[in-house]
Amino acid sequence: MAQTEATAFGQAKQSSAKRRKPIKAADIFSYAILTIAAILVLMPLAWMFSTSLRPTHESFQLPPAWLPTKFSWENYLAPFESSVPFVDLFINSMRITVAVTLGQLFTCSLAGYAFARLRFPGRDLLFLLLLGSLMVPFQVTIIPIFLLMRDLGLIDNPLAIILPGLISAFGVFLMRQFFKQMPQELFDAARVDGAGHVRSFLQIALPLAGPAMATLAIITFNATWNAYFLPLVFLNSWHKMTLPQGIALLTGYMGSGNPSVVMAAVTMAIVPVLVVFIALQRWIIEALTRSGLKG
Amino acid sequence: MHKSGLLPELTPRHREAFVGYLFILPTYIGFTIFILYPLIESVRISFQEFSLLRGSTYIGFDNYAQMFADGRLRIAYINTVIFTLFAVFFNAGIGLILAVMLNRRLPVLMRNLYRSIFFFPVLIAHTYIAVIWRFLYQQDTGVINYYLGLFGVDAIPWLSNAHWAMAAIIILDVWKNTGFAMLVFLAGLQSIPNEYYEAAQLDGANERQLFFRITIPLLSPTIFFILVIFMIGALQVFDTIIVLTQGGPGDATRSVVLYVYEIAFRTFNMGYAAAVSMTLFAIILVLTALQFWISRRWVHYE
Repeated sequence: MAQTEATAFGQAKQSSAKRRKPIKAADIFSYAILTIAAILVLMPLAWMFSTSLRPTHESFQLPPAWLPTKFSWENYLAPFESSVPFVDLFINSMRITVAVTLGQLFTCSLAGYAFARLRFPGRDLLFLLLLGSLMVPFQVTIIPIFLLMRDLGLIDNPLAIILPGLISAFGVFLMRQFFKQMPQELFDAARVDGAGHVRSFLQIALPLAGPAMATLAIITFNATWNAYFLPLVFLNSWHKMTLPQGIALLTGYMGSGNPSVVMAAVTMAIVPVLVVFIALQRWIIEALTRSGLKG
Repeated sequence: MHKSGLLPELTPRHREAFVGYLFILPTYIGFTIFILYPLIESVRISFQEFSLLRGSTYIGFDNYAQMFADGRLRIAYINTVIFTLFAVFFNAGIGLILAVMLNRRLPVLMRNLYRSIFFFPVLIAHTYIAVIWRFLYQQDTGVINYYLGLFGVDAIPWLSNAHWAMAAIIILDVWKNTGFAMLVFLAGLQSIPNEYYEAAQLDGANERQLFFRITIPLLSPTIFFILVIFMIGALQVFDTIIVLTQGGPGDATRSVVLYVYEIAFRTFNMGYAAAVSMTLFAIILVLTALQFWISRRWVHYE
């Protein structure tokens, strides 16, 4: 995508070198619309941040101050001192998210490789079956999974969320597409050197699969970090819950009484996402676009 | 000949198949336990009167029959359809407009900055966004009504009036998700070769003709993809609603998935919940198939 952008721009440059095009009214119109849209997108986030820093008695102040006027950092301590065990929630979320992400990298890279580069009877049928499962909505499978977890004694246990998360039809599809694009010569050369299939996978395919693995990791990490439905069904004691659950409850407990503290908690939950996004945004955007266009 | 200690002595073809099955084994164990088995089990449960304490009994189609008499389910379906129509229309429409504008002659820095800003909400959890907007939507103390007030608009009861609550959920959804549509549309627009536009311009085409004769037809596979993805997502709306309105006021914003969740995990009427979820599944399948069928009339593949 970066390449098409560069060429498109190169062409624009060439033609403008010949004859500098005047800025048209239509250009100014679209600048204006884009700027208004960007402001509308940023306003709730700006309000969240400035409110998180405001003293509690000023949190409802209108007109709202978009930039923080005071710095009441104690709002950021309040969630830790409230009845909500904020640190536990953070650790729980992180533990589930890391386990699910690593699990999917393992299962999806193996299956993706097998579907892309190995021949075995029933391969295409098995792959189609897996792809078909993308159509099954979570609310259809959740009731039997709940009963299964209850029988296994895993209610209120993070494993109830981790175990179903260890596989992903989407992830297998993503990895398969990537392994399929690799040149056959690489594998032929390895075969000549006497490498078996396991070694070809470990020493040739996997080291080259960094971009695809990163894509899968980013998508899975974000989806699991943000998940609400599964934790809501399975986790019900304070010390087992995840961050989204905790923050939803924090809002409930404090009602609309103390926005500053709630916004401080939300800010802390969103900042990791923002940091990762700024650091990896080229990557993330490219990855999501690519997987989106092919999905 | 290389001899792997892991594998038994087999012919090369059998060895390849063995490794293949071995590699897909973890995925298929998970698939069987967490997708295939629950899917079949869900069908079975939907024919049962289910009780966590007393065990379950087979009751044939009673759960399915019960749905026709369930007024709340009808309301939940109507709500879900209204939400889906508006959410898909505005997410795709605004996303397309933003993408087209970003695809115009813009400084690269500005394009990348705006693209990132529009996209960022996609990465934030629905839950957090709903928590923020709950404050923004407050009738007397909310920021939104304050600014509308400056334009002479009376304070809107966003979360306490049935119609406004649905509007509030749709607006929030568009704010969060239209950036994804924008991103995919922008990538689609950038893959349209410039030559098409240049050739048409030589023939004297104006900007409107360029848009409707070149951009839209060549973008149609992307538009179709976005419509399908957003429709499937919108029909399953849950997170936003449970935080923002809990389905209220009354049943005004109760979606089908929220209703399934409540009957399954609050009243533990699992049989009925399974039956309802099967109908939603069937509706999603039918609508998706229908979209694919209709798409043959309007989607252009190169």
